[in-house]
Amino acid sequence: MADLVQLLVSGCATGAVYALAAMGFVLLWQTSGTINFAQGEFVMLPAFAMLAGLALGLPLPLAFLASLVVAALVLGAAFKRVVVDPLVRAGVLPLVVATLGLSLAAKHAVRVGFSAEAQPFPQIFPEGVWNVLGVRVSAADVGTLLVAGALLAALHLFITRTLFGRSMQACAQNPDAARVLGIDVAGMILATFVINALLAACAALLVTPVWFARFDMGEAIGLKAFFAAIIGGFNQMRGALLGGILLGVLENLAAAYLSAQYKDGVALALFVLVILFRPEGLLGRAEERKV
Amino acid sequence: MPEPVLEFTDVVAGYGALTILNGFSAEIAAGRVTTLIGANGAGKSTVFKTLFGLAEMRAGEIRLDGEPVGGLAPRALLARGVAYVPQGRNLFPTLSVEENLELGGVTLAAAVRRARMARVLERFPRLAERRAQQASTLSGGEQKTLEIGRALLGEPRVLLVDEPSIGLSPKLAREVFATLRGLADAGGVTVLMVEQNVKSGLAASHRAIALEGGRAVLEAPADAILAHPRIRSVFLGGHVAQTVSGRAAGGA
Repeated sequence: MADLVQLLVSGCATGAVYALAAMGFVLLWQTSGTINFAQGEFVMLPAFAMLAGLALGLPLPLAFLASLVVAALVLGAAFKRVVVDPLVRAGVLPLVVATLGLSLAAKHAVRVGFSAEAQPFPQIFPEGVWNVLGVRVSAADVGTLLVAGALLAALHLFITRTLFGRSMQACAQNPDAARVLGIDVAGMILATFVINALLAACAALLVTPVWFARFDMGEAIGLKAFFAAIIGGFNQMRGALLGGILLGVLENLAAAYLSAQYKDGVALALFVLVILFRPEGLLGRAEERKV
Repeated sequence: MPEPVLEFTDVVAGYGALTILNGFSAEIAAGRVTTLIGANGAGKSTVFKTLFGLAEMRAGEIRLDGEPVGGLAPRALLARGVAYVPQGRNLFPTLSVEENLELGGVTLAAAVRRARMARVLERFPRLAERRAQQASTLSGGEQKTLEIGRALLGEPRVLLVDEPSIGLSPKLAREVFATLRGLADAGGVTVLMVEQNVKSGLAASHRAIALEGGRAVLEAPADAILAHPRIRSVFLGGHVAQTVSGRAAGGA
C-alpha cells in the first residue's frame, strides 16, 4: 500500500510535467490550428539555454529567467512569425511537416554544436526522502508536483478568470465573432505562442535535473505530451491535464508491477485504445471544424 | 427623410477574384430601421462585411457622419459607434452569458463596461436570469438576443444586424424585430439589417433598400413596399424582375 502511494505520487509528478507540455500543445491547436511536433524540443532547448547561462556563471534562478525570456522570444514570437504564419493558411499538414523538420534540426544542431552526451543539471529540490505516515515520498517528486500543479492552476485561473484569458478563449472558439467585437485576434494568438514557450521552459526546469540535458531528451516528452493531449481530448485544457496525469501514473505502475520495459509502451497502448474507442478523447467534444 | 448617418458611394467590393458589390450607393437615415432586401448573392451581407473589413473594398467610399470610414479596423469602428452582429452563431459557447456580454466591451474601461453590462441585463431580463449559464445552453432566440445585447455594450449609434431571424420561430423572430425597432424608436439607434424573411423584416422597418447584382436598385419606405402588389410579389417572391429594377433605377 505504501509502495502504491509512493508510485502514485511520483507518477503524478511526472504526469504534471507531461500536462504542462500537453497544455501548450492544446493551446496552440485551439487558437491557431497549429500541431507542434517540435514541442519536445521546445523543452530541450530551454534546458540547454539554462546550461549556457550556468556556464556563463549565472546562478540557476537567473539562468532560468533568462531562458524564459529567450523561450518567449524565440520559441514563442519568432516561431510564430517565421514558421507558423507563412504556413498556417495552407492547412494542418504543411505545418506538421515543418515542425517535424524543426524538431530534427534543433536536436541535431544541439548534438553537433554542444554535445551528444547527457549533461548534468543542478538539482532544484532537496535530495531527501520524507516519511509521511509510513509512506516514503521523495522531496523532488513532491516539489515537482507542487510547482507543476501551481503552474497549471495559475494558467487555469488566467484563462478563465481574467478578461485577457477569456478573450483568448473567444478567439479560439469563434475568431470572426471575436474580431468584430474589437478583440485583437492576432495579439491573442501571439500570446498563446508565448505562453506555450513559457510552459515548455518551466517543464524543462522540472525534468532536466531528473533526465539530464541531452539533445534527444525532447523525444519522450514531446511524444508523451502529444499522446496526453489526444488521450484527454485535443480540444480541452482539462483533457490535457487528465491525459498527462493518467500517463504519468500508469507508466509508473507498469514499470513497477509489470516490467520497466513496458513503461514506454503504456502511452502508446492507451493512445491506440482511445483512438479506437473514443477518438474525441476522454473529455473531448467531437469537433466541428469550419473549413 | 432625416439626415443620413451612413453613406455608401459607388462601393466596389468582394472576396479574392469575386466581385460582389458593383457600385453600391445608398444613404442610411439616422435613427431609423432600414432593411436591405434582395435575392441571394445580391450583396446584402457584403455591405456589412465591407464596412467591417471582412470583404475587400476595391473602390468607392463609405462615410459615417461625413467622415470616411472605409478600411477602418473593427476597433476604430466601434469607437465611432458602429457595432455589427454577423449572420449565424456569434457567441462563445463555453463562456457564460455574462462573460459573452463582457467581451462586447473589451475596448471599454472596466467601470464603464460593468455599468453598461448592468444596463443591458436590466433591459433583457431573460438574459439576466441566465447570466451564469453557458451560452450554448440558451435557446436560439435568447442567443440572438444575447448577441444583440453584446453589440449594445458599445452603445452604438449605428447597429448592423445580419439575418437576425435565421433559425428562429416566427414568434421569437417577431420579438427580435421588436427589440431592434425599439432601439431605433426609443433610443435613436440607426439599425441597418439584412433579412431573408422579408415580410416580417419589413414590418419592423422604416425603410428598405433593394439590391440586385451588387447595386442598390430601389429605396423606399418599408410600408410602401409591403403595400405595393407588384413590388411585393417581386421581392417576396425571392427574385427581382427586370421591370421593377429598370423603373427604380431610372427613377432614382
